[in-house]
Amino acid sequence: MRLLEVNNLKKIYTTRFGGNQVQALSSVSFSIEKGEYVAIMGESGSGKTTLLNILAALDKPTSGEVLLNGKNIVFIKESEISAFRRDNLGFVFQDFNLLDTFSVRDNIFLPLVLSGKSYHEMESRLNPITEKLEISDILDKFPYEVSGGQKQRAAVARALIAKPQLILADEPTGALDSKATDHLLKLFSEIHKEGQTILLVTHSTKAASHAGRVLFIKDGEVFHQLYRGSMTNEEMFEKISNTLTVLATGGAHLE
Amino acid sequence: MNKMLYLKLAITNIKANGKTYFPYVITCICTIMMFYIMHALSVNKGLEGVSGSESLKTILYFGTIVIGIFSAIFLFYINSFLIKRRKKEIGLYNILGLGKKHIAIVLLYENVFISLFSLVIGLIGGVILNKLMFLVLLKILDFAVPFGFAVSIPSMKITLIVFIGIFTVTLISNLFQIHLAKPIELLKGGEHGEKEPKTKWLMTIMGIITLGTGYTMALTVKSPLSALNLFFVAVILVMVGTYCLFTAGSIAILKLLRKNKKFYYKTRNFTSVSGMLYRMKQNAAGLANICILSTAVLVMISTTVSLYIGMEDGLKARFPRNVTINASGISENQTKKLNEIIELETKETKINNKVNYASEGFIASRVDDTFLLKKAKDAFSSDSYFLVTIPLSDYNRLEGKNVTLQDDELLIFSTVKNYGKNIITIQDKSFKVKEELASIVIMNKNALDIVGTYILVLKDVEAVRNINAAVPGTISVPLYRVDFDMEGTDKEILSFTDKLNQDFSKEILSPVSIGSAAGSKESFFAVYGGLFFLGIFLGALFLMATVLIIYYKQISEGYDDKERFNIMQKVGMSKAEIKKSINRQILMVFFLPLVFAVIHIAFAFPMIAKLLATLNLINVPLLRMCTVVTILVFAVIYAVVYFLTARVYLKIVD
Repeated sequence: MRLLEVNNLKKIYTTRFGGNQVQALSSVSFSIEKGEYVAIMGESGSGKTTLLNILAALDKPTSGEVLLNGKNIVFIKESEISAFRRDNLGFVFQDFNLLDTFSVRDNIFLPLVLSGKSYHEMESRLNPITEKLEISDILDKFPYEVSGGQKQRAAVARALIAKPQLILADEPTGALDSKATDHLLKLFSEIHKEGQTILLVTHSTKAASHAGRVLFIKDGEVFHQLYRGSMTNEEMFEKISNTLTVLATGGAHLE
Repeated sequence: MNKMLYLKLAITNIKANGKTYFPYVITCICTIMMFYIMHALSVNKGLEGVSGSESLKTILYFGTIVIGIFSAIFLFYINSFLIKRRKKEIGLYNILGLGKKHIAIVLLYENVFISLFSLVIGLIGGVILNKLMFLVLLKILDFAVPFGFAVSIPSMKITLIVFIGIFTVTLISNLFQIHLAKPIELLKGGEHGEKEPKTKWLMTIMGIITLGTGYTMALTVKSPLSALNLFFVAVILVMVGTYCLFTAGSIAILKLLRKNKKFYYKTRNFTSVSGMLYRMKQNAAGLANICILSTAVLVMISTTVSLYIGMEDGLKARFPRNVTINASGISENQTKKLNEIIELETKETKINNKVNYASEGFIASRVDDTFLLKKAKDAFSSDSYFLVTIPLSDYNRLEGKNVTLQDDELLIFSTVKNYGKNIITIQDKSFKVKEELASIVIMNKNALDIVGTYILVLKDVEAVRNINAAVPGTISVPLYRVDFDMEGTDKEILSFTDKLNQDFSKEILSPVSIGSAAGSKESFFAVYGGLFFLGIFLGALFLMATVLIIYYKQISEGYDDKERFNIMQKVGMSKAEIKKSINRQILMVFFLPLVFAVIHIAFAFPMIAKLLATLNLINVPLLRMCTVVTILVFAVIYAVVYFLTARVYLKIVD
């Protein structure tokens, strides 16, 4: 079943005085099946962030459509957008984006409280997730009291607890050390195995090598894609590296 | 390095931080101006030679000291805020290769620049406005206006000394902070993680107790005399209570709310409660300051305004009839002579409502229906009552009645609460109360009298005198008194009383004092007008301080909230929801001090009313009206300031 479909997405930024136009996305099309684990790779300035912002309904495209379960999110009314985001999408960011004013538990509860769930339900959802993510013992701590890896796992818990259709992860390993990175990627793979659809935006080859499919973006277009097939993580890593090298040295077309 | 570079850097810095430095400079100028004006007024020769000018000068001088101390605290407070905001910028300079010594030079230039600018503008403004303020003061005091335009050199000198001192101290503290900090700390500035505030139950309980005690004191104070004694204690208790409750109490309440899971995990409460927790930790002291300042403004303005407006009432209370003659301990012959002189002198002038009578006063404490005479040294305590005996013959003559009394009977009149008993025992001798009088010609009912007075009309006043004489150490105040209303202008009355005074001193040996409303007016004006002026002046200063603290709070809140605002949006809160939540919090945070200030005033009202009674203001409805109007005006200004600064805030966040 097709969960997400992106068709001919185009985004042009106009500078403040209307002079220069910058094309961030020229024409992006791809789709994601339910239960897929997809990584999007690209260098800085390739349009990754713009794409993610549009998928998250934080920004509107200049043209093109984004269909989530067949519904075009570009046309969702401003007043409904937050609720839509809350119910359908889970976010994991590079800099965690946990609120310092909340304990880890309350940070995880945030989306549920916003959608008006009862405390009882929140509690019952919390346990399985925190156990899986190994953060049950830090729930009463505050974000500034825990390590980066723990913060990111708390952020993942926050994304998962609303049972979203799709998890959007923006450079989730960017601020983590290698041990925490490995741990987090392992968790992503486990979550994926349980049926969660994940879209990972990164320029870490290691992070992307865990995905089932890797899309490469260059100059605002999907330039290439790579399927895992039966490759191991290591083989995938090598393949991605090679692709990136070709991309960086300006290979016109691959294979 | 080039000296010009430092200067350039300093100027650029001030410009770049205009949003925060502009109000600071304005504050500097205003405080300098106010300090100069107040001091110049207190040494102004134009105010001399009027009765009461000494007390007026004392009041103004006191005002100068208050402004000086307040300016120091306030400028220091704002400065610490400014430097905190700039740590990142300074850290960047440090990392880019500017040594601490060089940064110090830049800061020095900045400081000198701002100080010089403020001092020059402040003093020029002060000199110009001083003349205006002097005219305003004279108008308030009802004095004649002398001509001339004076620049007070001593005032300039002292202003320069005080403010250069303040600026130097702030500079030193800034340099000290920069010197201590490591560049990386400077760069991070205010960013390091905010720890969650701890619940301080002890402090909360202390706050409740001190505030409760302060309030109870204010509510239960019985006499103006005890109000005078307890006022400062109550003020300090309430101040301590305010600080404790704002800092610890608010957090305790919020944490309790958070413990209530059903309440806490609701969309509208979730972010508000946690946000408030965070805000209160940073702002509690500032908010307590705003609260106390607001209370001070309200009390000062409402009391001084009502004192000034109620001045006529005050005169009326002091002088039930506009001329009053008191002769203490004169003989019968002298009394006769006194009356003859008055008779003679008043032949040509028209006088009304004349009363003359002999009385004798004693001081006693009351327990139920027993009065125990007090020794002279204990006379002025809060449980003292004044017993005044008047012969029945005088009473009958004055009231035009024909009452008869037995030796052990008396009539009683109370200036305070009705006596309400059938028996009165003085020391060990009992009298039957034949009648409690509702009114008496010679005195008015006045519930706010400093010392409660009971007038006892007796057939034989010797009886009480003898009781008093039997107790060692007591005092008695025998008095022959003549009061009347005289028609004529203040000037005529004054020349009349002068004439009488001369006659008396020629003919009568015992001291006779002549008072008149006209004669006291000047000194009343000097004192009440001075207080009024000071009240408005300090009120304006405190208001400015309040406004500025609010402004700076809004700005710092804005910068802090920007990040939170972003995150919440990403997690799925809509812009409208976030705005609503933030608005709710800010509204609560900023109006909390105002609400508390009004509560403080409401509780303090009875005490203030009694206090003002010692200053002859007995018109409680007037005071109430002034207080309400002051609160309303203040609330409007407060709200306007809030909305103006809230716009700055929203601009920062958006």
